[in-house]
Amino acid sequence: MDNALPTSKLSRGTVVGKALLKIGAKKTKRFLSNGNKTKNHEEIADIIFDALGELKGVSVKIAQQVALGMPFLPPAYLEKISKSFNAIPTINKALVRKIIKSELHAYPQDAFDSFEMEAFAAASLGQVHKATKDGNALAVKVQYPGIKKSIESDMSLIHFGMKRFAKGQNIDHIIGEIEERLYEEVDYILEAKNCTFFRENMNNSNIIIPKVYPALSSEKVLTTSFLEGLDFETYLLANPSQKSRDAYAQLIFDSFFHALYKLKSIHADPNPGNFLFMQGGKLGLIDFGCVKKVEDDFLKQYNQLHLNLLENEDDMSIITQYLTLGMIEEQSEKEMLQFYREVIKPLDTLYKEPLIDDSYDFKVHKDFSKRGFEMVFEVQQKQFHSVHKLNEQFLFINRTLLGYYALFEKMGARIETGYVKELMKGM
Amino acid sequence: MKISQSAKEKTKIKILQSAVDLIIEKGFDNASLREMAKNAGVSNPTIYNYFPSKEKLLYAYIEQKHKEAVTTLQEIEDFHTYTLREQVQTLIETELELYLEDREFIIQIADMVFHSSGLKIGKLYETNALFVETVEEMLNIAIEAEEINPPPFKEHMPTLFWDYYIMVVAYWIKDDSEMFENTTQFIDHSLGLADAVLHSDILNKASDLGMFFFKTHMLNSLQNFASKKDSFSKMKRKLGEVLHG
Repeated sequence: MDNALPTSKLSRGTVVGKALLKIGAKKTKRFLSNGNKTKNHEEIADIIFDALGELKGVSVKIAQQVALGMPFLPPAYLEKISKSFNAIPTINKALVRKIIKSELHAYPQDAFDSFEMEAFAAASLGQVHKATKDGNALAVKVQYPGIKKSIESDMSLIHFGMKRFAKGQNIDHIIGEIEERLYEEVDYILEAKNCTFFRENMNNSNIIIPKVYPALSSEKVLTTSFLEGLDFETYLLANPSQKSRDAYAQLIFDSFFHALYKLKSIHADPNPGNFLFMQGGKLGLIDFGCVKKVEDDFLKQYNQLHLNLLENEDDMSIITQYLTLGMIEEQSEKEMLQFYREVIKPLDTLYKEPLIDDSYDFKVHKDFSKRGFEMVFEVQQKQFHSVHKLNEQFLFINRTLLGYYALFEKMGARIETGYVKELMKGM
Repeated sequence: MKISQSAKEKTKIKILQSAVDLIIEKGFDNASLREMAKNAGVSNPTIYNYFPSKEKLLYAYIEQKHKEAVTTLQEIEDFHTYTLREQVQTLIETELELYLEDREFIIQIADMVFHSSGLKIGKLYETNALFVETVEEMLNIAIEAEEINPPPFKEHMPTLFWDYYIMVVAYWIKDDSEMFENTTQFIDHSLGLADAVLHSDILNKASDLGMFFFKTHMLNSLQNFASKKDSFSKMKRKLGEVLHG
């Protein structure tokens, strides 16, 4: 009830301003004491996320996007982000009624046969209610009013704040991309379209995608069929068998590549909250707020690059491909080679690791994501901090996949790479 | 008798709606009762019978909307599970919802109240009975259910909510955000604050402090003043004797 969002730009400005002042103080302190850089990064991350936490709502989402979109941010931020998932504002009963009425032109009790006024789940910038209509169980996602507007004001503040970390380099394109993505995410009409697209094209009887009810949906209300299942944490707490874990990981892994290679679209948000572990080994995919389409040409190059990586081709040939993909800036051969070896190579080595053999057991490689974080951190310590326009499709794919690997590791699952390699070779 | 009562009610609503439409079209000053009667399909004497003046019609409109809002609230099955804040918020949102299609008309009334003083704000207050009663009931229920402690000056609290409501309408009239989202947020935040105050017992604490000062200091002064008044009247009497011999 008391989770009011500070919405006036003034109050938001104050909060962010306070954080910036604190960062300034920290930087000075470090300069004076020449202290431990890592610790300082963590402190700054703390300050920023405290401030974003005070802002609530959109900023939580922005925080997540910022971390995803800015490879130069220290890993301390990533950790903070995973904690911020639940800080979504509550929409009380009066407001739920009001939103449904203005969006669907009828009060909840009239628009639906039954409607539970208490939300059962938090969603991106809103919450989800159970309802029924004509005997169908429904999930109704409702968005807090004014979200779209506060994206704009929050982003300009974040832009201002983040410039400090870009070390004088231009980050406008990254900010722009994040903003665009956020707007996409608050547009439930677009989400409905994406959801329907996946439902009609996924073609896997073990993947369940909810059905959209367009007549009961709008820009700020999204009604879909209700899926019954366990969330990731609950599923793991129930201590599932190894067979079940492996099967689910395999399903997630295979369907990700299936979507990428066959549908040329990925569900680009590795948040475990988007999965439902359903009866009979079925996997529910929900929340299509972050869908990324990939272009044909890009996909071909991307695929070729990864085939070559698996074949251990020489660095220079790999660099040429990265250059085409827009992941490396055109420089002298020596500079490019150095950049590749120090920044990109550690990452793509990590990325391809599970793909090398016919299977990969995350139970054996328990330290996969830890190594990943350390590697990212190490890369950050080197002063490259490339903020030239990296290929966003590339980033989205790799980020999502690395996110899934982290889930597989938590599940202690083993995956087979056969189907994926078949897809890659068939490209 | 009952049938004629509901028929009467129907006629009243019909007249009100055609009056609102005409006022939106022509403005309050240029819309005549005669034309309203014609549009509503009733005779001139009939409309005067219902509304002796155009002003009366405005007040009747506001009262009518209170009535409709309360009816809407009564239709909410699980309304008793709503918190005090949610109940008040629903009442206000429902009233605004009802105003929405007559927004142009409401803007005119507000203009007459706040700017041209064509309408006395005091008169507007005479229309608030049902609203105040409804809020009073909500407060009483919340107190009974021990959701909140009885606030000090409890009997004035509902009227305070009416004042707040007038403020919300004034804000809504100036609101140019998409689908009046700003008003929705304004209501949400301000009622959040009111709710926090009512739950925090801060009003009772403030009143305790006030009473302490009153009893220990003000009361003494008052008593002093009263006894002084005594000597003052003695003085006056004396003075009178002097003057009047």
